[in-house]
Amino acid sequence: MSQRATQKPDHELHYECVSFYNHEAELLDTKELEQWLELMTEDIRYDMPLRVTRDRGSDRSEFSDEGFNYREDWSTLDARIERFQSEFAWSEDPPTRTRHFVTNVRVKDVDGDELSVKNNLLLFLAQGEEADGTTISAERHDVLRRVDGELKLAERDIRLDHTVLPMKNISVFF
Amino acid sequence: MSLDDGDQTHGTPCERACERVPTLEHEMTPRAERIVDGVGESLEEGVLPAKVFNDEEIFEAELRRIFGQCWVFIGHESEVSEPGDYARRYIGKDPFIFVRDEDGEIRVLFDSCTHHGAKVCKAEQGNTSHFRCPYHGWTFKNTGDLAGIPLRDQAFQGLDTDEWGLHEASRVENYKGLVFASIADEGPSLEEYLGDFKWYLDVHLDIAEGGLEVIGEPHRWRADSDWKSGADNFSADSYHTGFAHRSVIEVGFAANEISGTPGQETQRHVTHADSGSTSLRLLEPEDEVFFGYPEEYVTDENLSDEQYDLAAACGAATGTIFPNLSFIHLAATNDPDKELDGFFSLRKWQPVAPGEMEFWSWVLVPAEASEEYKQRAYDVAVGTFSPSGNFEQDDLAVWDGIAEAAGSVYAEKNGVGYNYQMGMPGMSKASIDEDWHGPGTAWDDNLEEGTCRTFHGNWYKAMTDQEIGMSYPEDHI
Ligand code: FES
Ligand SMILES: [Fe+2]
Repeated sequence: MSQRATQKPDHELHYECVSFYNHEAELLDTKELEQWLELMTEDIRYDMPLRVTRDRGSDRSEFSDEGFNYREDWSTLDARIERFQSEFAWSEDPPTRTRHFVTNVRVKDVDGDELSVKNNLLLFLAQGEEADGTTISAERHDVLRRVDGELKLAERDIRLDHTVLPMKNISVFF
Repeated sequence: MSLDDGDQTHGTPCERACERVPTLEHEMTPRAERIVDGVGESLEEGVLPAKVFNDEEIFEAELRRIFGQCWVFIGHESEVSEPGDYARRYIGKDPFIFVRDEDGEIRVLFDSCTHHGAKVCKAEQGNTSHFRCPYHGWTFKNTGDLAGIPLRDQAFQGLDTDEWGLHEASRVENYKGLVFASIADEGPSLEEYLGDFKWYLDVHLDIAEGGLEVIGEPHRWRADSDWKSGADNFSADSYHTGFAHRSVIEVGFAANEISGTPGQETQRHVTHADSGSTSLRLLEPEDEVFFGYPEEYVTDENLSDEQYDLAAACGAATGTIFPNLSFIHLAATNDPDKELDGFFSLRKWQPVAPGEMEFWSWVLVPAEASEEYKQRAYDVAVGTFSPSGNFEQDDLAVWDGIAEAAGSVYAEKNGVGYNYQMGMPGMSKASIDEDWHGPGTAWDDNLEEGTCRTFHGNWYKAMTDQEIGMSYPEDHI
């Protein structure tokens, strides 16, 4: 945060990030996945590492550097979205109802056109007549990049608060 | 000791303090007994009673008769490559520590302090010389030996520490890197248990130069499906690929030739190969498919010509080793614009409750492949067979309802049974391939369900206290 730490918070930048996330969440929750993909830079890195319970004294991160639930680029995200359009994509039939709650948005660093932003995600999912739904909690470590004046997502590291996933499959984006 | 000798049975069963407490037999309730008998009868007709997929008393009996008896997969030796490496694992619902001890021996220790029973291993995996119980501080070496007792001189002067080390699985064996354990004192050796299926397992484990190694930690996730739904599907159900996974083939995550397409003369199902059965999606050996591996990573050194030719022709294979270990060896891609590449995945269907399981999945790659290839193969696995896998998402989705219906009163009152008759006389064109060079019974078409009947036949055998690894029922042929 170097210099900026001594300055007043940059309300405008913060507001711009929050607006980006609100818009992104809306696209995800309304299943406008092709528009969602347009929010990504072409070199997007979209990862969800496994989280592993380690010894308390361990110097290894709980977030695996080898094991992932998602390790995507633009093309693999595009292929996943294309599959969801098929009438044979059973994991999304009926479609999962999702609600992305994005909070605690923190602009951690500004480097040229790029912002490092941490935020919290609470994702509610329910499908069919499932009464209680599933709640997934995570922190997202993002890099937002300004391209032609607009913010785009260039990197996302989804850091789950779960080790064993409480869901039968991952058929949504975080 | 050497890990390569494939035989590391050690310790007399329960040599520690367990003989002070009487043991219980694997009793089964009369209700469970009736359901099991029903399976024995109806399976001969190719019908499987629904109740097996969700019944409290069946589940309790399975934990004892199957998971208390059979060889159960624990992990791959590459997960614990250094002394002190450990991972927490389960046999049925029972907690164990899979550990390489300070002498290099792989052990499967019961994760319960011998003092008052608390859990001594808190992490999913790590490296340690000792496990210390948080309750009163007893400390065990990674060999299981009791090494420290707080206030011992005042509190436990007369205790023989040799008698109070951690309990361990009665028998532990390593087959080509795959570590299995059995909590039964007696029974067939692992190799006897695997039986004829070894021939097929060897194709997968020996095709890569230098063998296979695990990348990363296993994926773990929960589903409202019975553990047998996974085992049944991989055992193998070739019929579902073209329908359940149609979107995946359409988008181009895998080749149409491996989708189990009917009428493709080279496909084979192998049933009744003792502990297992398998679906082999084959082209011709000249096609040099090798599950999608580049040729420089494969070797014919440890395989017969027939086994090597099988690998050369094979684009995809699934199989199940009774009870709950399955595998897939697959040429696929996570990106339709990229070429198909191979990976191997081991999967374990861990029983959690009737109609509920925890899914464990490991990704393996040729140990001597380039780092770039290993990472690419891992990405392909994530994109196809993982919680987010484009294939696997749909498997878990289509199994919905099986356990719910199985738990219904309706199924009970009406004797609902599911149809597993494909391949039986008058059903499909599948017939036995008399020229097949491998063990078991090979079928010249994937449109048959003897694979699934092999799994459920083994289930019937185990539940009636018979040794698995046979042909049951034989009549269906
Ligand atoms: S229960 Fe472990 S030390 Fe007492
Ligand atoms: Fe499948």
